[in-house]
Amino acid sequence: MNTRIETLKNYILDKKHHQFRRTGDELGIANISESFEKDNIYPVRRSALCFYFLLNAEVPVIIPNEKIVFTRTISDIPEIYTKEEWDNIKNTYYIHERGTVCNISPDYETTIRAGFESRKKEIEIRLEDINLDEEGRAFLNATLICIKALQLIINKYEKYARLKGQNDTADVLKAIKANGANSFREALQLLRILHFALWEAGNYHNTFGRFDQYMYPYYKKDIDNGILTEEEAFDLVEEFFLVCNKDSDLYPGMQQGDNGQSLVLGGRDMDGKYLFNELSKMCLRASYELELIDPKINIRVDKYTPAEIFELGSHLTKIGLGFPQYSNDDVVIPGLMRKGYEKEDAYNYVVAACWEFIIPKYAMDIPNIDGLSLISCVKECLVELEGCPDYETYYDIVEQKMQEKIDAICDKHKNIFIIPAPMMSLLMDGTIERACDISLGAKYNNYGIHGTGIATAVDSLAAIKKYYFEEKCMDARGLFEALNDNFKNEPGLEKLLREEAPKMGQDDDYVDSICVTLLDSFDKVLNNKRNERDGVYRPGTGTAMYYILHTIDLGATPDGRKAEEMIPANYSPTLFMKQKGPVSVIKSFTKPHLENVINGGPLTLEFDQSVFNNDESVKKIGMLVKTFITLGGHQLQLNTVCREKLLDAKNHPENYKQLIVRVWGWSGYFVELDECYQDHVINRIEFGL
Amino acid sequence: MSKGVIFSIEEFAIHDGPGIRTTIFMKGCPLRCTWCHNPEGISPKLEYMFKKSERSICGYELSSVELAEQIIKNKDVYRLNNGGVTFTGGEPLFQPDFMMDVLDIIRPEIHTAIETSGHVYPDVFHRVIPNLDLVMMDIKHTDPVIHKKYTGADNRLILMNLDYLCSSGKDFIIRIPLIPGVNDSKENLQNILSLVKEAKSLVRIEILPYHKLAGAKYTMIGKKYNPLFDTEQKPDIHIFEESNIKTIVL
Repeated sequence: MNTRIETLKNYILDKKHHQFRRTGDELGIANISESFEKDNIYPVRRSALCFYFLLNAEVPVIIPNEKIVFTRTISDIPEIYTKEEWDNIKNTYYIHERGTVCNISPDYETTIRAGFESRKKEIEIRLEDINLDEEGRAFLNATLICIKALQLIINKYEKYARLKGQNDTADVLKAIKANGANSFREALQLLRILHFALWEAGNYHNTFGRFDQYMYPYYKKDIDNGILTEEEAFDLVEEFFLVCNKDSDLYPGMQQGDNGQSLVLGGRDMDGKYLFNELSKMCLRASYELELIDPKINIRVDKYTPAEIFELGSHLTKIGLGFPQYSNDDVVIPGLMRKGYEKEDAYNYVVAACWEFIIPKYAMDIPNIDGLSLISCVKECLVELEGCPDYETYYDIVEQKMQEKIDAICDKHKNIFIIPAPMMSLLMDGTIERACDISLGAKYNNYGIHGTGIATAVDSLAAIKKYYFEEKCMDARGLFEALNDNFKNEPGLEKLLREEAPKMGQDDDYVDSICVTLLDSFDKVLNNKRNERDGVYRPGTGTAMYYILHTIDLGATPDGRKAEEMIPANYSPTLFMKQKGPVSVIKSFTKPHLENVINGGPLTLEFDQSVFNNDESVKKIGMLVKTFITLGGHQLQLNTVCREKLLDAKNHPENYKQLIVRVWGWSGYFVELDECYQDHVINRIEFGL
Repeated sequence: MSKGVIFSIEEFAIHDGPGIRTTIFMKGCPLRCTWCHNPEGISPKLEYMFKKSERSICGYELSSVELAEQIIKNKDVYRLNNGGVTFTGGEPLFQPDFMMDVLDIIRPEIHTAIETSGHVYPDVFHRVIPNLDLVMMDIKHTDPVIHKKYTGADNRLILMNLDYLCSSGKDFIIRIPLIPGVNDSKENLQNILSLVKEAKSLVRIEILPYHKLAGAKYTMIGKKYNPLFDTEQKPDIHIFEESNIKTIVL
């Protein structure tokens, strides 16, 4: 890191740029929805006008030494509907999360290449079509307003840069105001602007996609032509990464840090070429040097990926940011194709905000629309236990329960309404041609369901199978009572279930085979489901925040878990499993047919910081990751933690402001998390020396 | 088929040889090194251990077949990563018949390594060592009197076995647990260097810096940690690198 970047980093971490922030109230735009309502303005036009007003109210800020500019100065985005209107909408429609377009992977590439004038032209030509209906026309005009707003603010920044004597920055802005990028710096600046614009338009979980692929041509051209040296290019990459941490506290999410700025490196193309280039390597290095939570790095790998890549990734793991996260092309691509994605699109997959596999440019998927608590399915069927002659009968009932719950869940997703997003539409394929906002759908409109409490469900089933049906040393009534009173009066049964019963993660086929069946069932119950947008449903192994939510009313479970204990995050062993080691965990968790649960959700391995004490051990972590991939795992995330440090940080947050941990599909600052999330991180199983 | 006593099986032990390995901790050791960080490996018998006032038994007996099965279970993972199994302890050569029986079953399919103090009779050493792919041998001190003071035994057997190892052609690593004020003098390191520097099959030297946490487990087995040395000194390890022997600090 050179001094320029270091100074910038300190400036941003010290939040000095917060001084420029104003609220919507201060700017008099907080209540624009009222005038929209009064004038009866079309929803899509409201989105565009709101965006325009915001950009118009932005003032240019250039932080000392900055080359990639744009800093947000408006802290809150006003609503485009009045409260009454929104209440009406909520009563009439199904609303996902905040109701805005989110968690998709925009196509920055096309606009970076073509430039705004050319995009404008494309829309104007489309508007000449006399067959367009009023809605289509309103949409297209809305996208024009967005471009106009963008050009306006770029112009403002250009003038300001010129005034400050930063002519190089002004020249970059002048070029990209009208045309596509011609250099790496222009491309990064334009990407920054487009990404900035999406947040300002109220969209969230705005991912970066395959940054090392779509940026590479600009990088390569500048290096080949001697316009940039490698170090200069690296400097820009670092600045770009740094910039992602500038406004991120304003980005909406479940917790601070859950902002979806994920970035994907590597991956294999359809011709079998592994696409990891110098820029990919630079991204890992930049992230390593900066030690910041954004962007969150994912690496696409497969069983033929060179060991060197895993090693590079492990060096980044070492510093404890909780990434890179790995996904396995060998499993994910066939899995996506099985769900109906075209081969070409499947090969281009990226990772959404956390771990959901999505397709850039073409997919308006909602990969986190809901979650099914698998452990609840198991627990609710316990009342049927006494009537079951064998385990198979009991399991059939559990599967029926899964089907019932899935039927109910999918039934909820009717009549969905998403707030129009003309700015996002500009960055998604085919919207101009269809004259149709992205909120109404795209080539792919699939929904994803998280399967939560997998290990808890599997371990519970194994305990029931072994002790109730096979060894007959546990009766149904005794089990109910124990679960109802949280094992208060049954310490013996608790010990048996908790400590003696087989657990997933110990490489024991007895219990692991139950997981194979359970995930197959999860796939089966969703297999024939279609949503109203003619999309399919994708089962997944992630939990998101459901590992907290689905624990609240769960009570104690037949695996010996007490009511107050959390279920594991994502696809991970139960928190109190007797540990054999990471190899056993990997072997257990790669047995299921993971291509069938392709919504994503990683196995998480936690390592004590001391594991990474020299390059050789870092290399071995790389080997472990490669083993997981070779054995057919779909997704892996590694966390470097130090328990003592976390405990101390809980008590003395003032000393640990920069301590970063992986939470569920994203990394955040430990001291900024709610206590229940802090405790979950502390209690996860960790491998030491 | 024989029976042996072990006190732990560790997967993914990253400092016990190449690749991804399983490490077997065998119970029982003839030495009494004052810095020992695995005191529960010293007694050959099962014993009680107390963690947070909960009592558990440390060590368990199993047959050579049972242990071999547990090792073989992960052979796919070893093969993928040029790994294998490493026997440590305690002193694995304290149970030579058991080790030979396990090695008979798992070789040559699985890469085998041992971490030994070398403090065994040469006939045992000569019998077992040819059945291993890699030997990691500790050298603590070249002076017999000092050796006896800190480990309870002089180094006569160790130096004999080292001599055999150096001329055997067997790949080996020398490990030096560097104890401040005990064996980190330039003289001692120089002496160790002169013993091994001609050996063609010496892979490298590994330095194990003294770890302050070493004393943590003593109270768990009802023993007192009494290190007899100053735990705060800084070691100097340049001497091996100057002689072009690959050296790594673990």
